[in-house]
Amino acid sequence: MPLLINREVVNDSWTLINEETLEQAGDIIVPLALYLENQDRLDNREGQLAVQVNGDDDLNPVLENLDRFPLIAVDFPAFRDGRGFSIARLLVRAGYKGEIRATGDIGRDRIAYLERCGFTAIQVPEELCKPELLEAFTEVSNYYQSAEDGVRPVYHQQ
Amino acid sequence: MYQYTEVDQKLVDERVEQFRDQTRRFLAGELPEDDFLALRLMNGLYVQRHAPMLRVAGPYGMYNSAQLRKLAHIARTYDKGYAHFTTRTNLQFNWPKLEEVPDILAELASVQMHAIQTSGNCIRNTTTDQFAGVIADEIEDPRPYCEIIRQWSSLHPEFAYLPRKFKIAISAGPTDRAATQVHDIGLHIVKNDAGEVGFEVLVGGGLGRTPVIGKQIRPFLAKEDLLSYLEAIIRVYNLNGRRDNKYKARIKILVQAMGIEKFRELVDAEWEQIRETDLKLPQAEIERVQAFFKPFDYDSTAAEDTTLATKLAEDEAFRVWYERNTVEHKVAGYRITYVSLKPYLQPAGDVTDEQLELIADLADKYSFGEIRATHNQNLVLADVKKADLYAVWQVLAEANLARPNIGTLTDMTVCPGGDFCALANAKTLGIADQINRKFEDMDYVHDLGDLKFNMSGCINACSHHHVGHIGVLGVDKKGEDWYQITLGGDDGSEAALGKVIGKAVAADKVADTLEKVIEVYVNNRIEGERFIDTFRRIGMAPFKEYVYAPAN
Repeated sequence: MPLLINREVVNDSWTLINEETLEQAGDIIVPLALYLENQDRLDNREGQLAVQVNGDDDLNPVLENLDRFPLIAVDFPAFRDGRGFSIARLLVRAGYKGEIRATGDIGRDRIAYLERCGFTAIQVPEELCKPELLEAFTEVSNYYQSAEDGVRPVYHQQ
Repeated sequence: MYQYTEVDQKLVDERVEQFRDQTRRFLAGELPEDDFLALRLMNGLYVQRHAPMLRVAGPYGMYNSAQLRKLAHIARTYDKGYAHFTTRTNLQFNWPKLEEVPDILAELASVQMHAIQTSGNCIRNTTTDQFAGVIADEIEDPRPYCEIIRQWSSLHPEFAYLPRKFKIAISAGPTDRAATQVHDIGLHIVKNDAGEVGFEVLVGGGLGRTPVIGKQIRPFLAKEDLLSYLEAIIRVYNLNGRRDNKYKARIKILVQAMGIEKFRELVDAEWEQIRETDLKLPQAEIERVQAFFKPFDYDSTAAEDTTLATKLAEDEAFRVWYERNTVEHKVAGYRITYVSLKPYLQPAGDVTDEQLELIADLADKYSFGEIRATHNQNLVLADVKKADLYAVWQVLAEANLARPNIGTLTDMTVCPGGDFCALANAKTLGIADQINRKFEDMDYVHDLGDLKFNMSGCINACSHHHVGHIGVLGVDKKGEDWYQITLGGDDGSEAALGKVIGKAVAADKVADTLEKVIEVYVNNRIEGERFIDTFRRIGMAPFKEYVYAPAN
């Protein structure tokens, strides 16, 4: 699936794995529960390791070990599940400096909000990946409230 | 009232074009139905039984005359010549065409209006007291805070996909006219022992399937902390609210399940993290917004009027209207004046294009060009000189907008019900007519006095039947409409949820049953007692006994 970073399509070196593909080589993203079950093995393998979290996960094991992960993926299991927006903000606030990647049911019309909440990478479905997709970032050019994108609240905008 | 800055206007204009493109992509098949559903809902667009329904925001109930004229124009051009005021002080069009909605939104933007977040699982229009700024007993005008919340919550990137809808209401004095205790968050403007003005915060109230009275989460919140505290509450809700069952997804269920103490603990922990950030509300911003709501330049000679007393003595119909539909203003010589949207045998809250224009003209001529909507689906001209009341009344009466029934049984709050709404289990409009016919005698209705009556066509409780002194809920029994009656609800300062009196009654028996309920009140009341007071004193038993007594 194409990956947007800084509003550009980039090559993606990461593979999301599951129980069956646990032995996969290279840079892998492991769902948090699976990671916790196989932590010893995974921590000692070659290649980079990232975790994927969603709203059902207890975030604490991740927040306590932020330095360990160069990338944290936040999954949106359904279009209407907005927990990932808050999770991204919590990661930013905890000082996480790695890639925060949105995966799952993304859709064109959420990508601007994802960026605002601190996602630095957004995985978008192939069929959406057209040049006009980027317009979604600029349709609304200013906002009232601050989030994680540097926009100041309206009362601090001059 | 608030006037858009360049920032506001640009945001609304851009939102119109964004929605235009979303609609285009949907109609072209590029945007899946389910995705479009969430997006259109966030812009106030439902698909209803007959046609789409567009809900336009009336921020905390405030409208100006130019806006009313624009709404009249939209009703005439894009709809069937009428519109409907809701219990969130918004305005609905019931017959727009989907492909024309972007044009309607563009028309709205030209008069500083929008439909942003009037539906969907996001932060909705904040509501407040329809007497804000003109009633003597308020601590401070709540509208600047409503506007500040409107701005903070509009297109909030984190809170656009909450577990469920989220409603905030603010009241500012001892009398709660904004039903704050049955909101997701209720804010009461209060003064603490040190004389500082801030907010008491309630959380987890709500109606719908599981009616709950809100619980106090914080006795006093400083003004500067308003946005950070709201953000903390809603973040905790967004992360922890249930998403597996939409009927258990409101914050009230979370607060109940977790307990208010635990919920408060989570909110406080979150709040500590964000209190000292950009969310801290500068005093200068409060003052900037307050400047839009400064008291009008009232006529200092208005109190010298003697014509009103003469007219009241001469004209009985005018006097009855004056007593029932006008309220004391904080400035001598002025009255707060209701426009009743509860005429005889017409749907509650409906207005025609011509009525909208007429009300706009009255507002321009007599009330500083502003109009307010109430959560009981009436309108208010807040600043009418006593000397002008007779003229205002004559115009309103001519337009069928002066039924002297505010606060009485026939000032019913009624949802559109099964005739229009796809969610409804039962029809409501015919039942409202039935009740109107039964209680046509205005002298009798006035004698009954303050009596809050609410009727919803389904368990979603859009018309707040749980908090009516008398509430009616339409239910479906094997394909037939039946009606369950509750007594003892209240959405004011002593908020309470009504209790079911007994088994549901058939559609043709609703008014007869109400009549019996009211007979019990009339036979038991003591001097000056309202229905709700009598009910509280004597309890349900006498009502139940009489209503369900076997016929002879």
